[in-house]
Amino acid sequence: MISFSGAAAIAGIGATEFSKESGRSELQLSCEATLSALADAGLTPADVDGLVTFTMDNSSEIALARELGMGELSFFSRINYGGGAACATVQQAAMAVVTGMATTVVAYRGFNERSGMRFGQVSLGAAAQVNTNGLDNAWTYPHGLSTPAATVAMQARRYLHDYGATSEDFGRVAVADRRHAATNPAAFFYGKPITLADHQGSRLIADPLRLLDCCQESDGAVAIVVTTTERARDLAAGGVPVVAAAQGSGADQFVMTSYYRDDIGIPEIGVVGRALWAQSGLTPADIPTAVLYDHFTPYVLMQLEELGFCGRGEAPGFIADGAIELGGRLPINTHGGQLGEAYIHGMNGITEAVRQLRGTSINQVDGAEHVLVTAGTGVPTSGLILGR
Amino acid sequence: MDHDEIMARVEELIAVGETAPRVALDEVNLPMIRHWAEAMGDTNPRWESVAPPAMAQVWTMYGLDPHRPAGDPLHATMRLLDDAGYTSVLGTDCDQTYARHLVPGERPAITTRLESVVGPKQTGVGEGYFVTTQNTWWVAEEAVATMTFRVLKFKPTARVDPTQTVRPVVNRDTAFFFEGTAMGELRIQKCNACGVLRHPPGPVCPECHAMDRGHVVASGNGTVFSFLVHHAPQVPGKQLPLPLALIELAEGVRMVGAVRSPDGAALAIDAPVHVVFDRIDDDLTLASWETGPGRRVRTDEGSEEGVEINSDLPPVSLPITPTLIVSAALATRDFQDVHHDRDLAVQRGSKDIFLNILTTTGLVQKYVADWADHEGRPDARVTACALRLGAPAHPGDTLELTGTIASGSDTEIVVDVIGTVSSGTHVTARVTVQP
Repeated sequence: MISFSGAAAIAGIGATEFSKESGRSELQLSCEATLSALADAGLTPADVDGLVTFTMDNSSEIALARELGMGELSFFSRINYGGGAACATVQQAAMAVVTGMATTVVAYRGFNERSGMRFGQVSLGAAAQVNTNGLDNAWTYPHGLSTPAATVAMQARRYLHDYGATSEDFGRVAVADRRHAATNPAAFFYGKPITLADHQGSRLIADPLRLLDCCQESDGAVAIVVTTTERARDLAAGGVPVVAAAQGSGADQFVMTSYYRDDIGIPEIGVVGRALWAQSGLTPADIPTAVLYDHFTPYVLMQLEELGFCGRGEAPGFIADGAIELGGRLPINTHGGQLGEAYIHGMNGITEAVRQLRGTSINQVDGAEHVLVTAGTGVPTSGLILGR
Repeated sequence: MDHDEIMARVEELIAVGETAPRVALDEVNLPMIRHWAEAMGDTNPRWESVAPPAMAQVWTMYGLDPHRPAGDPLHATMRLLDDAGYTSVLGTDCDQTYARHLVPGERPAITTRLESVVGPKQTGVGEGYFVTTQNTWWVAEEAVATMTFRVLKFKPTARVDPTQTVRPVVNRDTAFFFEGTAMGELRIQKCNACGVLRHPPGPVCPECHAMDRGHVVASGNGTVFSFLVHHAPQVPGKQLPLPLALIELAEGVRMVGAVRSPDGAALAIDAPVHVVFDRIDDDLTLASWETGPGRRVRTDEGSEEGVEINSDLPPVSLPITPTLIVSAALATRDFQDVHHDRDLAVQRGSKDIFLNILTTTGLVQKYVADWADHEGRPDARVTACALRLGAPAHPGDTLELTGTIASGSDTEIVVDVIGTVSSGTHVTARVTVQP
C-alpha cells in the first residue's frame, strides 16, 4: 500500500482580491487565482496535468485548461456537497499525485457569490432539481425552510437547549474571527473588529441566529497547487506536506437537513476528525492553531467538540476565556475566517493554513508545526492536517 | 404617532378608571331572545322565560348608529390605534362570568374600564397591540355578569401570495405523502415486511431492504424537537417572521413544518403540537403545525396506530353557512361589516365574512348546555365561559366541536371545549356549569 501521509504537498497558493462585486466572470477569477498559485510555486500552466474543483463550481476543468493553455490533462475530478468539498479537493489532488495519476494538480474555486447567485437567498433551483437532492429538499423548502442560516438555526436551537449554551457563546466565535480579520489587509472586514455587544445587537436572521453569526457573501477565487512532497522541495516556495486528509459523511446524512438521526449535530466532521488523527498519529493537543469552517458560528462550537478539542457540550466553556483568539490555547481562523476575511467556500482557509506553516501569516502563531483545516459541515465534509 | 405617544395616551385612558353605567337600549325581552335562539339553532324551551347567559353582552351592544359616547375607553383606544396605523381588529379573548339568569323586563347597564394595552407585538397577522377591558353588567346595584375582553388591534402585513410557495419535487417514492395531505391525512411510510416507520420516505427499507412499502396515517400529534423563527431573507409565498419546527411525531418519526401559534405563545422545545393542513392550491397541501395539545384530525380505522378522538362530550359538526354568520351577527346586535358584507370583509384582508365572537360564545355554551340536558341536568346553568379565538370560521367550512371534562363535582362541572375548522383551531374555551 502506498503511504499517503506526507507524500503530497501544497506547493503554491493564489487568490484574487475578495470583494462584493468582482466585475469579472467567474472563469476569469479562477484563471487569475490559478496563475497566481502557479507563479507562487514557480510553475506555469504547461506544468499542470490535473484539475479538481467543486461540483458546484460554474467553471469546468476543461474551460479553465483551455483559457490557460494547459494542454492535456490526465486527472480531473469534482467534489459534491457545497463547502464540504473544500479540503477534499486537496485530498483528491494529493491522492492523484501520490498514485502517479498526475504530477501537478491545481484545486480551484471561483465565484461571484455576492454579485451573482447569493447562497444566502432562497435557491429555487435547489428545490426544483430533478434528482435525490431535489426530493430531499421537498421536505423543507415548501414549508419555507430554505436558506442555509435557517437550516443551521434548527440545530443551533437544539444545541442551546441541550447544553445550556447562549447566543453569546455563538457571538464569541464571531468576535474572534473579526479580531483576526481586523489586522488582515486582504480581509473584507480589515480594520473592523466587533464586540460581543455588536453581535448581540445585530438583527435576527433565523432566530436564534443573528446577522453576525452568519458568514459573508463574497466574490473571489482561490487556487492551490499540489504535487509530491519530493518534487515540491525543489520548487520556488517549497512544500507544505499533506499530513492527513479525509472525507466524512454521517449515518442518515442529508445536505444541511440531517434532522432525522438521534443527535441533530454534525457527526460528519467527527468521521473526518477520527480519520485525520489516525492518519497523522496526532491528537488535538498537537494542534496549535486551526481553521474551522465558519459559515455559521454554532458549527464552530460543534466542530471543537466533534474533533475532540473538548467534550460534548463543553465548547462554550472551552472558548469562554479567549482560547480561540490570538494568544489563546487554540487560535482559529487567523485570517479572519469566512465571517471576517471572505467566503470562498473554505478554500481561503486552506491557504491561511499554508501561510501559518510557511511562517508568513499576518497573525502568525509561533511554532505552528501542524494546522488542522476543516470544510463545510452540516453536509458531507472533509478536513486536512498540514505540516511543515 | 410613536409607541411612547400611544402609551402616554393609554395611561390617561387607564387613569380614567371605570365609566359611568351605560344603560341597555332595550329591556331584556322575549323577541330578541327568540331571534337569538333561532339564529343559534337553540331550541331549549327554558329561553321562553329567561335569557341565555351568552346574551349578556348583547343587551348593551351599540346598534348601527355610529355615534359612541365620548367616555367609552375601548372605543377611544380603538380610535387612538387607528390613528397610529393599527387599523384592523381581531377579538382574541373573551372571559365571561354570569351570577344568574336575566329575566325579561330587566334593563342591565354596563360599566367599562381599560385594563391594559400591550405591544407592539409581532403576530401572525401583523404587528399590533393587545387591548384588554374589564366590563361589568349591573341590574340596579347587583353585578349580574362580568367580562374580560381582549382584542388585537393590528397593522395588517402585506398579503403574500401563497401560490408562490416553492413546489416539492415529487416522484413515485414520495407521491403518497402529498396525496395524503391533500386528503387531510398525515401519512408515514411503513415497511410492509418489517413494519418499521420512516420519514422522509424512500424506495427501500433501510432496516430489512424490503421494497414493499405501505403507510399509516399519523395521529397528527407531536412535540417540538427544535425550532427557529425565520426573519430574513424573503421566502416565496410566506409571511415573515416564519416559525419553523422539527416535530417529533407521536409515532416516533420527525418531520419539518411551519408552526402557527394561535394563542401567540412562544414556541418551546418539547411543547405539544398538532397537525393542520395548509391547502396552497389544487396541487399542493402542506402539513403544518399548531401549538397546543392535539386531537385526532382524521381517524385511520385500519391502523393500529390510530388514536381515539379525545372527547368526553359527543362531537358535533356544525356547518358554517352565510345564514348562520349573518343572522347570528344581527341577533347579537353586532353590525360590524365583516360579519355580513363579503366585499368589505375581503377589502379588509379576510377571505370572506366570518363568525363573530358573540356567536361563537353562544354556540360553545349551547354545545355544553345541550350535553348537560342530555345527561339529565336540564337545569344546569352556565356560570362562566373563558374563550380564546384562533382561526376564523368562514362560510362553507365546518365547525367541529369536542369537549373534555376538566373537573366535576356536585356543585360545579368544568368542560374544555375545542372548536376546529379546516384551517386550524377556531376556539378553545373553558365552560363552567352549575349542575
